[in-house]
Formats: sequence, C-alpha cells, structure tokens
Amino acid sequence: MKVAVAGKGGSGKTTIAGTLARVLARGEHQVLAIDADPNPNLAVNLGIDPETAARIEPVPHSFIHHSKDAEGRYSVGMDLSPEEIVARYGAPAPDGVTLLLVGRVESHQAGAG
Amino acid sequence: MRGILEHLHTSDSLLTVTDMEAGLEHLKRGTLEHADALLIVVEPYFKSLEAAGRIAELARGLGVPALYAVANKVRSERDETAIRDYCAAHDLPVLAVVPFDADVSDAEQQGQAVLDSAPEAAAIGRIRELADRLLATGTPAPTAQAAD
Repeated sequence: MKVAVAGKGGSGKTTIAGTLARVLARGEHQVLAIDADPNPNLAVNLGIDPETAARIEPVPHSFIHHSKDAEGRYSVGMDLSPEEIVARYGAPAPDGVTLLLVGRVESHQAGAG
Repeated sequence: MRGILEHLHTSDSLLTVTDMEAGLEHLKRGTLEHADALLIVVEPYFKSLEAAGRIAELARGLGVPALYAVANKVRSERDETAIRDYCAAHDLPVLAVVPFDADVSDAEQQGQAVLDSAPEAAAIGRIRELADRLLATGTPAPTAQAAD
C-alpha cells in the first residue's frame, strides 16, 4: 500500500506521518517512510536523533532522466530500481522503518521555494 | 521530487508512508500517481479546511483512488463537528480524529518523536486507530500474485 500524507504547513502532518509509519511497522509491516518535503523533518518524528538526521544523505536526482514526448507527456527513466534506491539511500529508523529523503533540490523547481 | 515518488510507488514489496510537501502548489502530475490513499491532515479552522478541500480536489483530478481527512489538534466537540461538517459536504471521509495534545508540542520542542517521549499520549492512541482503519479500508494490498 502506498499512503501519502498532505496538509497545510503546521497542520501536524509530519507528526502523523512519522507516527503512522512506526505504528504500521510494529504491526509487522515492512515500512518505507519517504520525506518528500523540501524542508525535511520526518526523521525526528520517526525517532531519529537530530544529529544523526542531519547526516542522512538525500536520494540524488542525478540518475533520474526526465523527458517529454512529442505530445508533452512526461516520462521518467531511472538507473536504479526502487529496491536498489532503498538499499543504497535508506536510513534506518526505530521499529524497523526505513527512511528516504527525496524532497530536496530538483533542477526544474530550483528557486521555487 | 517529481518522478522519484512515482518510481518508488511502482514497487510492490513496500508499504510506503510519504510526507508530502506542505501546502498544495506541488500537487501535480508525477507526485501522487500510484498512491493508493491520500490522508489530508486538517485542523479545525477555516483556512485549514479550505486547504483540505482544495487538496482533495487536486488529488481527485490526479486520480488518487482513496482520499481521507485526518482531523488534528481537535480541542472540543465543536472543533470535531466543524471538521466533520466540512468534510461531509466535500465528500471526504474522516478516518481519524486526533485530539490537541500538549505531549505532541512538547516532543516537537525537544526534537523527539512523541511516540518515544509520551507513548501513552492520547494522540498516539488515535493514530493507532488510524493505522488499523487504513489497513481495513481494503485499499488493495500489493497484487503480488497478479504481477507474477
């Protein structure tokens, strides 16, 4: 299952996302928590101490190829499978959750935030 | 971010919980495709409700199959009613009502997870219920058999 959590800034969405990920992981699920916020703070809500959290390497976007076809449809090519990305960039969090940071930098969004 | 979420969502073996960017400007193609469910966290005041309504509208446009509201920082019955009324009018089921909880803000101030600093907090109990309900919604689990 793929669950996304959205909301206005300050709504508490990150606290809910982090707690939900750990509660699901305690229920024997293999959980991947993905921080897609350019201002990431899911790590701390997952119970990773702030110092360790600051050292987590975000998934680089260098191996993602963006392209548009003749009709302007967007497509993406990847050099790594999802499982390889998780193995390489996933950071361990309490209760067996794995955390990925993906929200930082994106060339076509540069300067947007 | 666009693209990579889509890519990670193609994995059948993972249960993912994605903390999206705050607000709604980013909700466009490439961010929510293949998500099975979107939880929209909403507080009991007008601007937050309005934002939730807009997020729901955008997510419907992107074809997200299941949309739910999660009421948060609810202090009173009136708060809960305000959220339930708005969500009912916008066809948005409320999957959980999480109370305002000082343990949550305390944990935030201390740079801790509330699940560690106050595991018995009322908000935690409600998020456990949220997890149970989410799994029970019947949102299709990865169709491993079908894929093979």
